[in-house]
Amino acid sequence: MSQLGYLLIAVGVILVLLAIFFVTFVLYRKTPVPKGCEKLPSAESCSKCGLGEGCALNIYAKKEDPKK
Amino acid sequence: MNAYAYLVAFLLAVITDLLVDNVVLSRFYGICSFIGVGDQVKSASSMGFAVTIVIILSSAICWPIYYFILVPAGLPFMDTLVYILVIASLVQAVGLFIKKNSPALYKSLGIYLPLITTNCAVLGVAQSNTDSGLLAGQTLAENFGFSMASAIGTSLGYLLIIVVFACIRTRLETYSVPKAFKGIPIALITAAIMALALVGLAGLGS
Repeated sequence: MSQLGYLLIAVGVILVLLAIFFVTFVLYRKTPVPKGCEKLPSAESCSKCGLGEGCALNIYAKKEDPKK
Repeated sequence: MNAYAYLVAFLLAVITDLLVDNVVLSRFYGICSFIGVGDQVKSASSMGFAVTIVIILSSAICWPIYYFILVPAGLPFMDTLVYILVIASLVQAVGLFIKKNSPALYKSLGIYLPLITTNCAVLGVAQSNTDSGLLAGQTLAENFGFSMASAIGTSLGYLLIIVVFACIRTRLETYSVPKAFKGIPIALITAAIMALALVGLAGLGS
């Protein structure tokens, strides 16, 4: 097969991967959260480095005092 | 390479990546989740298992894409982009499966499930498997086998270290640590001592 053929296949594979990502993303969002898991912390609250305040991964962030 | 020699080389590759060349303590990948999640054994083991599955599956998918599609097309420089797409899709698919079929596991993993996408250990393993290229006299099938050995060893190494680290930190909670060392400082000192222990195994895989 010529290099152009491989190039077209590569572009096709990348497009298929993109399509799979968007389909799984939409399906993941549309799938209802199982019972009892409604109050889990959201991934959006993560600061990636785990050092930000309000991040579920960060065990040293300031926690709210339950007495207040 | 005969079957026996190949099996021995495969097992040595697994052990090397598991202990000697550990992904967290030697290559410093996945430090964020290592420090962040490594305070509770349950969270650490859940995260470790999820990362293990994703590393093995993504390596098994990324290797053929690189050697059978990107290299013949003259696009090996696109590898990082393609690997990120594969990993992101895989994490979404695994998450979707768990969300639909196993609510208990979904609750146990919680926030950690989508965060696997940002774990650099997953991308690092897929990248290093293809960056090394084919060795002299090595067939593609052998190279794929060693890549899988590396993926299995690396992921099990991540799981082992994060769980052991969580166990040590759980015990440290009961000890009287000086105030200046409480929290992250003592965790980093613990990680350093663990890394020194693994250095003692250097030469095992050679």
